[in-house]
Amino acid sequence: MTHLEYALRFVKLKVQEMIFNGRKTDQCGVITFGSEETDNIVNDKNGGYDNVEEYIAIGQPNGDTLSKIDDLRPSTVAGDAIDGLIVGIETQAEYLSTKKTWTRKIVLLTNAECPIEVEDWEAIVKKMNALDISLTIVGIDFDDEELPFTEPNKTVHKTANESFYHQLTSGLKSGIVGNCTFALQEIAKPDIKPVRSTLMGTVLRLGDVETSAEEAVEILVKTSKCTALTRPKSWKKYALREDDAGQAMLIDDTKNDPKVVYTPLKMQTEYYVDRSSEEDKDGDVKMEDDETNLLDGDVKPKDQEGKKEDNLEKVEKEELVRGFKYGTTYTPCPDGQFPRLHTTKGIDICGFFPAKRFRRELSMGEVQYIWADPTSPQQQVALSSVVQALYEKGAVAIARWVSKDEMDPKMGVLFPEVFDKVECLLWVQMPFADDVRRYTFASLDNLVSKTGEQITKHPYIPTEIQLDAMDNFVDAMDLMTAGEKDEEGNRTPWFNPADSYNPSIHRTKQAMFHCAVVPDITTNPLPPPHPDLLKYFNPPKKVLKRAKGAAEECKEVFKVKEVPKRVAKAGAKGVKKGHDHALEDDDMLLLDRKREVDSKAGLKAAGSLMDVDSAQPLELVSVSPAKEKGKGKAADQEGSDTEDEDEDEFVAVSLPAENEELLLTRKDPAAGVKTPKPSSHRGAAPLPTPARSVSPQIDPGRAPGRIIGSTYPLKDFEKNLVQGDVVTKAVEDLCEVVVEIVLRPFASRRSGEMIECLKVLRDTCLKEDEIDAWNAFLPNLKEKCLQKPGNPEFWDEVKALGRDISLISNKEARKYGGAASVSERRAEEFVA
Amino acid sequence: MPPYDDWNKIDEEEEEELQDASFFEGKKDVILFCIDCSESMLELRDDPNYEDVKTCHLFTALEAAMQIQKRKIIVGPNDSVGILLFNTTRKSENGRTEVSELKRNTFILQPITPLSAPKVQELIQLLDAARENPDELKQTFPPLIGKRVPTGDVFTSCNWVLRDGAPKTATKRVFLITDEDDPHSGPGRKQLITSARTTLDDLVQAGVSVEPFFISTEGKPFDVAKFYSHTLLPTNLEEEEALADNSSVLPETISIARIEDLLSQMRIHEVPKRALFSVPFQLADGFTIGVKGYGLVTEQKKGSYKYFVDLGDRMEVATSRTVYIDEDRQADVDKTKIVYGAGQGVTTTADDEEDDSNLGFGVKTTKPGQRPFYSAEEIRSFRTLGLEPGIKLLGFKDREELRFEDNVKHSQFIYPDEMSFSGSKRTFNALLKSMASKNKVALALTLVRRNATPVFCALLPQDEHLDENGFLEPPGIHLIPLPFADDIRAAPIEEAFRASDDLKDAARAWIDKLSVKNGTYPPDSYPNPALAYHNAQLQASAFREEFDPDSFEDLTEPNIGKIHKRAGSLMKEWKLALINDDTANVVIPTTGSKRKADVSVDEAEIRSKYEAGVLGKLRVDQLKDFLKAKSQPVSGKKADLIERVAAWLDSH
Repeated sequence: MTHLEYALRFVKLKVQEMIFNGRKTDQCGVITFGSEETDNIVNDKNGGYDNVEEYIAIGQPNGDTLSKIDDLRPSTVAGDAIDGLIVGIETQAEYLSTKKTWTRKIVLLTNAECPIEVEDWEAIVKKMNALDISLTIVGIDFDDEELPFTEPNKTVHKTANESFYHQLTSGLKSGIVGNCTFALQEIAKPDIKPVRSTLMGTVLRLGDVETSAEEAVEILVKTSKCTALTRPKSWKKYALREDDAGQAMLIDDTKNDPKVVYTPLKMQTEYYVDRSSEEDKDGDVKMEDDETNLLDGDVKPKDQEGKKEDNLEKVEKEELVRGFKYGTTYTPCPDGQFPRLHTTKGIDICGFFPAKRFRRELSMGEVQYIWADPTSPQQQVALSSVVQALYEKGAVAIARWVSKDEMDPKMGVLFPEVFDKVECLLWVQMPFADDVRRYTFASLDNLVSKTGEQITKHPYIPTEIQLDAMDNFVDAMDLMTAGEKDEEGNRTPWFNPADSYNPSIHRTKQAMFHCAVVPDITTNPLPPPHPDLLKYFNPPKKVLKRAKGAAEECKEVFKVKEVPKRVAKAGAKGVKKGHDHALEDDDMLLLDRKREVDSKAGLKAAGSLMDVDSAQPLELVSVSPAKEKGKGKAADQEGSDTEDEDEDEFVAVSLPAENEELLLTRKDPAAGVKTPKPSSHRGAAPLPTPARSVSPQIDPGRAPGRIIGSTYPLKDFEKNLVQGDVVTKAVEDLCEVVVEIVLRPFASRRSGEMIECLKVLRDTCLKEDEIDAWNAFLPNLKEKCLQKPGNPEFWDEVKALGRDISLISNKEARKYGGAASVSERRAEEFVA
Repeated sequence: MPPYDDWNKIDEEEEEELQDASFFEGKKDVILFCIDCSESMLELRDDPNYEDVKTCHLFTALEAAMQIQKRKIIVGPNDSVGILLFNTTRKSENGRTEVSELKRNTFILQPITPLSAPKVQELIQLLDAARENPDELKQTFPPLIGKRVPTGDVFTSCNWVLRDGAPKTATKRVFLITDEDDPHSGPGRKQLITSARTTLDDLVQAGVSVEPFFISTEGKPFDVAKFYSHTLLPTNLEEEEALADNSSVLPETISIARIEDLLSQMRIHEVPKRALFSVPFQLADGFTIGVKGYGLVTEQKKGSYKYFVDLGDRMEVATSRTVYIDEDRQADVDKTKIVYGAGQGVTTTADDEEDDSNLGFGVKTTKPGQRPFYSAEEIRSFRTLGLEPGIKLLGFKDREELRFEDNVKHSQFIYPDEMSFSGSKRTFNALLKSMASKNKVALALTLVRRNATPVFCALLPQDEHLDENGFLEPPGIHLIPLPFADDIRAAPIEEAFRASDDLKDAARAWIDKLSVKNGTYPPDSYPNPALAYHNAQLQASAFREEFDPDSFEDLTEPNIGKIHKRAGSLMKEWKLALINDDTANVVIPTTGSKRKADVSVDEAEIRSKYEAGVLGKLRVDQLKDFLKAKSQPVSGKKADLIERVAAWLDSH
């Protein structure tokens, strides 16, 4: 990298910062000295000042500014830095001649290798001080004690120039010389621009100001934000412009230097309507999950997209009318909202309660300051008296806040805050009744057996030893004195929100700056995040060291074991129906772990059970079968995405005596029945949860790779349907199993059952959009039955059911939003 | 509420925020009300609220079902509901081909279908008729006399009804409402219990959970132990697991209520419990447990409007799709080909750009093979800093360290998950106990989803205990996101006049009077009025009824009458003390030399002008200054300003 490129990196970062902040009042220009061209206002007027070019005129920078800076190349001539500086001062002065209040800054970048004329420098200092210009000289390989850096074999020129620059800046009101490397380091530090919140006027009220004005309390107040959630800046989307063949499109610059083009993308919303279907389908506005898909690299199978789009027709926004859905009922609402509740601006106090009864976890959002009107001493003492009284009493107020007339009210709590020289109230929004969800969770302590007896010993309940170990751990991990020392030498708590940078914001910003200044991120990868961003990512070393013993102790006594997750299904087909954020996530998690699970699954789990058993011989560990089953079921849970269900654990536990016995009987099937299943099949076939009517010992008769067995095909099938996302596989397998069974000897004994299977199968195919599968299966079944040795009797039984079992016609399919290539007539004839 | 388009324009960064809500919206919920229709349910009783009105349990149950339908239709417009009655001799009408033949003496009042206005109205009409004629319900649904339907048959019918009507991915629940604690006391009891269990098991296998609501009256107390604890609760471990996995009936979800509380009990179960995330919770290196996270507090917003297309015979919702286009070429870009970079800033004026202008603004050219932009995966790693979802303990601090002002968004709630790590419950329980007894909060680094951003959270323990209303506050830990330095704003005011002790004491007097000693903030007392107002209009519109704004009551308004009655005189004293305070006459000197000439006129002058009716003589800036000083809006024309000044002077 040339010195020029290195210096320009600093320039570009500074320019990018201005682009990033996007302020109209942040402007810059670029003047080059030692350039081939001469083009500057001083030269225009008076001549001289050769090889100084006003390369970029002062203005608000943008992407083009950066690419223009990129075009700079080293020249063959030398330039005088002082000439450059003087041109800079003049250019800036002219540009700001009507903008007196602007802050003037000049940054001079040089490697100080070229000779400079230093006479008259005092005049420059005088002029710069008069104009209040601050000067930063960024030197490449300048000596720097702080860094520390000393250039070996420094040229005489450079040594002289460097010391001159120090002399120059020391004469300035505001001047500094620095090393470029150091400057780049500084620029990489996360920094926070303090945002001054605007003060919004409103009124704090208590009582009725309209009819009982002489009694009602009314204080003029100003509100401002105390916390405001800041997010990482959003990225702009681009795409490589391609030709029709999908190849990157090249454009020829004049220099015969081919380039590719990345073009910024605009977002557009398109509307589609499904005119064809009679049935009310999903009926809801669906957002395409682009992000999720993108991230997972999960491109939807083309055929599915196609199917979905067949019926969709694009509509113009003008044709659309606004309305609400009330269930499936359409409710017109052309304005997009109904008349609003009438409200009056202000903060109304509803009552007071003790601060210690405030439930911190109910705080809902950002916090606001409430100040007395800064122009009115009377209002200030008024608010002050209220705040002091609340503070003294240890109370807070409940209040209702309307930010503007006719705006929706919010409920919240006002909390007294006493600063050194001023008092104020803090507001935080609290939930309405509608915002609180009361879910039930099983008690962690109160385990009751079926007979209503309290259980005190159970693997869910920590023992005294475990409680002690946790107490020690909590003490050891205490952070109250783990921070830095304060002025008086006392240790402060570790971690303070005011020192914690949002790593996402600053990392994203760093990445944005990086890609704005380097031409290729593959060869110039983003450097690691600044250490300041990660300083709170791990507990302090001291604390970790102190807590090591306690943590080991905890590990020892609690014996937490990861339960290997089972993969619900392997096929991508299965995923297609249950699209849902959470599900997606879970699937990802599942897939991540899949390999591990596959290899270790059975035995490891068994091993961990043994551990628990042997570790706590006194407590009859009824949890072990729970775990065994948990393992078996975890997959189903995720698959059927009924998250809530597995949560509700059972607290009822049988008495120990009974327990032991059951444990024994339970171990049998767990160990005996096909526990070491082939891994490929593991995911698809959950251990049969023995239904009461089914003895667990019975082999479900599933062929490898199948999720439907020949023993209880219908039960297997229905279970898989409930699971939800293996419909295609289930249908496919059931088709095969039915044919198998029908062609077995003595099949007539099960023909009733098979007919039942067919009915369910057909119904499922119709509703789950597996129509093609049915329409392919039925002719196949017919053919097999009528072949020799077949089972013609069975086919007769099927035929006897008539039209209801026949092929699915297009007409029928349409009712469920599907399509079929079979006509109604053919369907009728097929079973005739 | 933002207009639809804004709402639709979710950048991936903001998507995280929306996920809370969309997560719930994405899932359908199906409830089948399964209501006992026996003689005792139909027995007429005095209405507890109205004199001379007769009601019966069935009526209340149906009314509760109707209320739940009304709520669900707004909260989850795509949810489905059905009603099944049992112990009635009414036969299902023939010709309903969709519904399989039900077991005898069960009757389907409403099959499982998506909610709609007619469906709710149908129920309302039935209830109205029953209100007019108390015998209406008995006539419409004649009870089975002298015997009862086997509970097994009830479950089987439920299973069939749900199988026929419920989408397979939905959460399916049966709300079982009965007042009979021992339906099978006669002969064959054992067999009937067995069959009930078997059929319940089938139901559970089908992914359905049963949530019982038992009605207990003085004359007929409900003893769960008689029948239901045997039936609903597992008898052996093998079954315990099956049910535990499938969230069947739990001891704590059995609500035995007085009939009047039926609705409020149901309201608690209105939304099915769903975890928002399931992540490992690392306490120390190699010491990790599993937890699931729930949103116990989330802002419930008004639904957003949708775009409809008039198809002549019906209104159809238009599906919206976001596409990214290359504007110059008007071509869609495949989402997988999108790359990400920094914004290009403002557009320069057209004339000073020469070569790039033909490509369009913001276009970036580069040498072939160079990569100037990031992929989506890289963008995500910048956001997560390469962390995997999880909660990582950093240490413990005193409870007081969690300050009031350190808040930016609502909390979440975590509860141990034995299914991902065995031993999670005992460990979590020990941690909870230890933190609570030491009055500590924990500090943790959390990333709850793959595309979320890492945040530091305070972990606030919650012991299990009963709250004022007798609800069990569940054991668990609240995850309170802390603000970053980037989110904290400095106090803009550093100094002000302070009150004397006398004035403070005067304020203290009325604060004392208006304090509730053991009070706290009661969320349940404050239904969101704006939301209710909106929903009431939505319902009226759907029912084609006139909405009467006057009938609407805003429960969040302070009880002014009571305030004045209790503390009015004390507030008056405080006001007098304030007027006599020395500071009343202090004028803050205006600072800064750049201010323009002082144009302000004092309040007395404005008042006198007002009384003389010559407010119009004041200039607009004077009026505005006055209004600004009174925290009034300063928008509008001069006439508006005068009106506003007059209104303010009127009321002060």
